[in-house]
Amino acid sequence: MSTAMSRTALSRTGMSRTGLSRRGFLLGAASLGAIPILSSCVGSGSGEGPAASGGGATTLTLQSSIQDAGPKAALEKVVGGFTGPQTTLNSVATEQFRAQLSTYLSSATPPDVLAWYAGSVANTYAAEGLLLDVSDLWAPGGACAGFSDALRALSTSSDGKAIFVPTSYYWWSIFYKKSAFAEWGVRPPTTWDDFIALCDDLKARGIHPLTNGIGSTAWMSAGWFDYLNLRINGAEYHRALLAGQHSFEDPQVTAVLEQYARLIPYFHPNQTSWDAQQAVTPMVNNEAAMYLVGAFCVQYFPQDQQDDLDFFSVPTIDPAVPTAEEAPTDGFFAAANSQNPEGAKELLSYLASAPAQQQYITDSGSSNLPTSPDVDTSGFSPLVQKGIQLLNSTAEITQFFNRDSSDALQTTADAALTQFIADPSDIRGVQRQWQQAAQQVFSS
Amino acid sequence: MTTVQQAPAGAPPPAVRERGRRGGPLRRVPPLVWVFLLVPLAVELFWVFWPALNSFSLSFTSWKGVGAAEPVGLENYQRLAADPVFGTALRNNVIWVAGFGGLSVIGGLALAVALNRPGRGVGFYRSAIYLPMVISLAVTGLFWRVMYQPDGPIDAGLGAVGLDWLQRQWLADPDTALYAVLVAAVWRQVGYIMVLYLAGLKGTDPTLEEAAAVDGANAWQRFWRIVMPQLRGVNTVVFAVTVIDSLRTFDIVWAMTRGGPYNTTQLLSTYMFQQGFTLVNLGYGSAIAVVIFLLAIAFIITYLVRQARAEEG
Repeated sequence: MSTAMSRTALSRTGMSRTGLSRRGFLLGAASLGAIPILSSCVGSGSGEGPAASGGGATTLTLQSSIQDAGPKAALEKVVGGFTGPQTTLNSVATEQFRAQLSTYLSSATPPDVLAWYAGSVANTYAAEGLLLDVSDLWAPGGACAGFSDALRALSTSSDGKAIFVPTSYYWWSIFYKKSAFAEWGVRPPTTWDDFIALCDDLKARGIHPLTNGIGSTAWMSAGWFDYLNLRINGAEYHRALLAGQHSFEDPQVTAVLEQYARLIPYFHPNQTSWDAQQAVTPMVNNEAAMYLVGAFCVQYFPQDQQDDLDFFSVPTIDPAVPTAEEAPTDGFFAAANSQNPEGAKELLSYLASAPAQQQYITDSGSSNLPTSPDVDTSGFSPLVQKGIQLLNSTAEITQFFNRDSSDALQTTADAALTQFIADPSDIRGVQRQWQQAAQQVFSS
Repeated sequence: MTTVQQAPAGAPPPAVRERGRRGGPLRRVPPLVWVFLLVPLAVELFWVFWPALNSFSLSFTSWKGVGAAEPVGLENYQRLAADPVFGTALRNNVIWVAGFGGLSVIGGLALAVALNRPGRGVGFYRSAIYLPMVISLAVTGLFWRVMYQPDGPIDAGLGAVGLDWLQRQWLADPDTALYAVLVAAVWRQVGYIMVLYLAGLKGTDPTLEEAAAVDGANAWQRFWRIVMPQLRGVNTVVFAVTVIDSLRTFDIVWAMTRGGPYNTTQLLSTYMFQQGFTLVNLGYGSAIAVVIFLLAIAFIITYLVRQARAEEG
């Protein structure tokens, strides 16, 4: 990209010590040379992207960023069972995948199918014309024909084309251990006041009522923000706020942060050092009681505790506000430049099929829900059954902060919320800074 | 760093100059030498200067990595001036250059002096101190993250010696996070500086020091008046290495804090990476890269000018 960028890249490849040796420099330059050239090519040649893709290729590449051990192995197994064109599965680190996704999609020979998120991210790329139109999969007789209307809406871009194939989703809720609640003689709360009372009760006994991991996974702090906003202001306001139609300086946001400030003393103080996975540790040891997290947390618990887990939805704060839950949807899209679009669709159809979904969910052990109504869910754990019920009974479904907005807006939330959690005394100041940062994102 | 390397390509190369001195005025350079000169020059022009210029032009655009880059003039730089995170990153970089440079040079020099004498186990100590250098910065970062964990070895150690009040979440506390990373970086760098100084000390003339001792100079005076002046060459190298290393620090901060908590440990390099590659604001990221480049080149030009003067004198 640039010399300055290459410089950091140099030290990353461990060449830093050869700083003054010409040979070392040349080696470094040679190994890095490819990067600026590649990226510059993208800059200049992007206009002539989808020139002639007659579709001569007979193989397929599936690019995935799934890194958790269980789901990764499960996906490998599912792809191994694909009988269509020979498919290579590339697993790339999430960070790198995110950064290079635009480069993947705009290259002349992109990976054919990519595992990523539904919602605003997919729609942004669809608007650039980089995603393959998969409307025939959603047409009657297609692999996604029977999926719910909510999923159909989520997978459709602004110009009405289906561009996404959702294959699994999961729910967010407050998770707890049944045995721990029984030991402490407490029950899951049903109202917000009950919830606060439960927190007070547990805290008085020396148990940390809530746990979280907002260290290297600062985005976890947005889970509570999302839910409090959904409970206080409702899903409609939440979506509009994340789309930039409201200001983070609104009194509605103040109300959310005031409730959030009430919760801060209940969190385990180490939450600022932990990541989402480490945050499970105090729950495993019965030192913390509850965790607002996605169902993916199940795999973080030891095998013998996974059946002990249960959850309850964040209690209602304002009964006038319609119920809402967060249910991030994962799945696949295909690159418009794919050399083998028919093969890509074949692979997508296979991944969306009920047997493939069932196998993936069973093997991954992360309590995902199937998107296909044809999956036989009776064999799934009671926890997953309860999750399905939760999402079927809620009035509104949102995804998660970054998926409803953008990764750029998520970083503004990370900074604002972690700072707010460290010092909740100046809510107005936090809101002002947040709005300034958000404005930069929306204007750029 | 690249620019240090580029200098000989533009100016008459040292190798040629030396031969010129030995063999009289050398008007006709053999074609083979031209080949040796021009091929690396072409490589550098293509792989260093051209991408660098590209980055300059990108910094005047807004580009998301897809589609055409949209020219925005100086807007990126105006945004930088008003960006509080950029301000923090700039301030942190100053702290970093001073802290990283100062601590590793002082530590490295002290260790070199202490270990520059024959004795039992000196070789072992030298290798032990140099050993962290073998480990990549990313691994160093992971290793220190474990050390700093709540209830990790550092907090446990403080508790064991009765310093409980010092225990904290080192990497999550904005007051300590940057310095905690700094300690990890210095831990790794100090062995390298030590080796440089050890080499320098080997080149000093022991008879001078003995003569000064006979004249009644104490150890402190001998070091500062006799040994230090002889280390001038090494000092220049150490200065350049340290400044360049500290300006391009990236990996250890990224591995340990990713610029958090709430951007308080952001350096220019990490902020550039975040903007350019995590958020794919390539124009804005390039603008930050240009600032880093200008800062680095300012230091390097100062260094080159100093060296040129030293060679003349």
